[in-house]
Amino acid sequence: MTLRELKVCLLGDTGVGKSSIVCRFVEDSFDPNINPTIGASFMTKTVQYQNELHKFLIWDTAGQERFRALAPMYYRGSAAAIIVYDITKEESFQTLKNWVKELRQHGPPNIVVAIAGNKCDLSDAREVSEKDAKDYADSIHAIFIETSAKNAININEVFTQISERIPVLDAEGGSAVKGFKLRRQPSVSTRERTCC
Amino acid sequence: MMKEPKDETENNENRKNISSTVPNGISGDPAKTLGLLHGLRVCQDAWAPKSPWDRHGAHTALWGRPAGSFLVVQGSLSQDQLLCVSVGDSGEPVKEFSIMTTEKALRLTASHLAFPDLFQLLHFYTLSRDVLPVCLLVPSWVYTLKNLPDHLVPLLGPKTWLCPSSDLQAKSSMTPETAETAETVMCTIQVTAASGAMCFINPLYLHEHGDDWLTHSSANPVRHPLRRDKRLSTTRTWEGRGLKKRSSSPAEDCSTFNNDRGSFEKTPVTPSTTPGGVVLRRASGTSKEDPLKRASTDSIQSPLPQSPHRVSWIEDKIWLNSPLPSSQLQPPCLELDSLSVSSIEEESEPALSPSPSLPSHRFQLADKMKNRLSAVGQAIGGLMSPQRRLSNRVQEMAERKSGAFAEAVREFIEQTLTSEPTPEITYTEMLQEVRSSLTALREILFDSTEIQSITDSFGDTPDFELDSMLELALHKVALKPVYSHLYVCLKTARRDDGTLQRLEANKSILEDRNLEELEGAAGAGVPDSSVMEKILQRWTAMHEAYSPSKKVGTLLKVCKNIYHSMNANAKPGTVFGADDFLPCLTWVLLRSDVATLQVDTDYMMELLDPMQLQGEGGYYLTSLYAALFYISSFRPRVAKQQLSAEAHRSLSQWHRRRTLHCNQSRRSRNRRTIRRHGSSNGNRRTSEERNSLKASTESSSLTDDKSDTHESLQGLDEELQVLKEEEEGSADREQVQLPETIITSPQIDEKDRAVRVSWNERS
Repeated sequence: MTLRELKVCLLGDTGVGKSSIVCRFVEDSFDPNINPTIGASFMTKTVQYQNELHKFLIWDTAGQERFRALAPMYYRGSAAAIIVYDITKEESFQTLKNWVKELRQHGPPNIVVAIAGNKCDLSDAREVSEKDAKDYADSIHAIFIETSAKNAININEVFTQISERIPVLDAEGGSAVKGFKLRRQPSVSTRERTCC
Repeated sequence: MMKEPKDETENNENRKNISSTVPNGISGDPAKTLGLLHGLRVCQDAWAPKSPWDRHGAHTALWGRPAGSFLVVQGSLSQDQLLCVSVGDSGEPVKEFSIMTTEKALRLTASHLAFPDLFQLLHFYTLSRDVLPVCLLVPSWVYTLKNLPDHLVPLLGPKTWLCPSSDLQAKSSMTPETAETAETVMCTIQVTAASGAMCFINPLYLHEHGDDWLTHSSANPVRHPLRRDKRLSTTRTWEGRGLKKRSSSPAEDCSTFNNDRGSFEKTPVTPSTTPGGVVLRRASGTSKEDPLKRASTDSIQSPLPQSPHRVSWIEDKIWLNSPLPSSQLQPPCLELDSLSVSSIEEESEPALSPSPSLPSHRFQLADKMKNRLSAVGQAIGGLMSPQRRLSNRVQEMAERKSGAFAEAVREFIEQTLTSEPTPEITYTEMLQEVRSSLTALREILFDSTEIQSITDSFGDTPDFELDSMLELALHKVALKPVYSHLYVCLKTARRDDGTLQRLEANKSILEDRNLEELEGAAGAGVPDSSVMEKILQRWTAMHEAYSPSKKVGTLLKVCKNIYHSMNANAKPGTVFGADDFLPCLTWVLLRSDVATLQVDTDYMMELLDPMQLQGEGGYYLTSLYAALFYISSFRPRVAKQQLSAEAHRSLSQWHRRRTLHCNQSRRSRNRRTIRRHGSSNGNRRTSEERNSLKASTESSSLTDDKSDTHESLQGLDEELQVLKEEEEGSADREQVQLPETIITSPQIDEKDRAVRVSWNERS
């Protein structure tokens, strides 16, 4: 089985729950053989997808406006980006659109983009309708899911769908790819390793 | 890679735990140790009571005694004796170990380590537990016991021996230690006063050369020049204790660089050929100042025991080989690992915490007088770690007079030392050249049959692990001689471009800000002064290391400290991600030497194996870079867009770097093929290969620069078009010029194409 390392970068306003999503995702992956990471800004989790092992290397970024200029250092070389917004904060959805633009201009070619509308447990305070968000995601061919890190809703699904969109190894035409941008072919950000 | 030292530490921790109350190898006051053999002899009746004592009696007597307490009694079935040891385990408080007596030697049945008499055996097991669960514990008064007054003889039995309160009584009533000249009798155990460490000396050597050199002589510690010389020549770092003694640091003081340090160190390695000769083991780093004392024993006819195990530092062959004719016996020399003398030589990495490398580990052991023989054994004996074996071999290969690798290394060093950033070549390009060369050198190693024969023995070690092991080995032979020079260049360049000045200036603007003012969230703590001090020490250690991998290891420790401080007063369950970490890191940086850190960061960034950049080390290195960039580009009233534009400009620099990994496909089939190709070209990397490496670096910058220039309103379609054209053009040319690409990788992916594109454009 092949082990592939997939760098995934997390973008989104501060406070939308980026790190909560990751923590929820990795929390059940207890592997005594793997040293846990030193902090929540960088976490890893390996999942099996078909006949491959996908090791997600999850890079969190600082969402404060002042730090946004630093984001390219983090998202370069990513196989996927998860852009998170808070469904109870319209403003965070606008920020998301800016991130999409930025990735388009400066992001790695062929990066898989996933949009996560977090805090879907707080639907009473909803400011962003699911349909609007879904329509937007479709228009840029991005993955879209509403999640709740708090109630562990749809967290694994985000990553599963990313796995599905990662170009298959050795796929000549890249037909399995439904990337959000059609630029150059195989992801420059995946590393293949023979699993021992 | 980073895991290894940790495991090592953990192992030691475990060992310590097992031997709970009596840590393996702690020998107490060394001076006392000298008297132990004698003391044991004097009060033999106390610890080896005669009949009617038997194992049941011993068990009862030992029950509840401190772990390590022991008695030796006659076995019930055989003539052999039993060593009964209290192990402090509630399930089985007392364990017994049979002592086997062969013709002239004694040993525990479970161990192959034989001793001429029971005293030496017991003495040994007070220092090293070998197969025992704990080290033996001897009442402290025994250490000073010189004579036993007659009237006390009847009183001295197992009860006294085991009862802790008897200490005082015994001490007061027994003859105190008198200054006694050490007898000069042959021995098989030598205890040096400073460390309590033990040396084993082959009696055959004593027989041949006498024991004058062993004689206690505090006036003349350098009594045995031959041996001293050997030691000096092979143990420089024991005195140096790392870089502390080196001239401060290259970046702090440019003038400290000198050719001497930059030059390639060579250690003559004389393969040791004394299999039957010497079993003298190094005592300790501090023994130099101390006279060689020893405990007396009375035997020079120590037998040749069978192959020992457990205490594996006595290499099998030494015991198993028939002794050489006595005339060929060599004087004792330091033969820590005959596999490589040079392995002791270096590794002057300053180690704040357990250093990742085994040798310094060993020094620590020695320095701390921990005679944890089994641990040391792992370092030196047949169980030498794969990393060590590789490093030793690489070192050896680099020091050869001829050979592809040695030549390539020399050429690299020479070239690097003479190169300096010029207006045409930026420091970044210069470092990228170094990185390419490192990668090329690594590939030479991969190709070498010598290395392959070693790596083949590692079993299923994945390629990326081999890569990082070879990296580490390479850093020592290739990077160490040049890193001072590189630092000088880096610092000059960073000063010339104004970065260092901006950092310093902005630091003074920002340093009074608290975490909230640095965009940090309330609730996250910042390091207190003691943690901050620790962090500053780690920064220093990071700065002093020459290996980028080791630097990153230290960086991770700093980040761990920061997380710890963040969590210290936080509500339980709070998760601190990058939103909190980055401001906190910035806060720490504002209290650190930002200029030095900038240079260190550049060094790591450019020279770290690109494969490691996506992992945890890469993440925190990026964060460090980002935080420094934040500080250096901070402008109180700058408009956001401006900052952003500037950031993007700088980022195009960033993109230019670290793209090698895109082209290093790890599909081993391809890789192997390419490797073969490389080696068939001869010994050196051809310029073609260099170019292709360089080109791979360029390739992404090509793309990235494009996106930067198209920064504003770049339409998706346009870009697609450009890339398409590029592809079509490249596909043709590549077939003409680089047929081997097609042969070696039937499915050329796009990144390869990109490489070739730029390669072609360059040529």
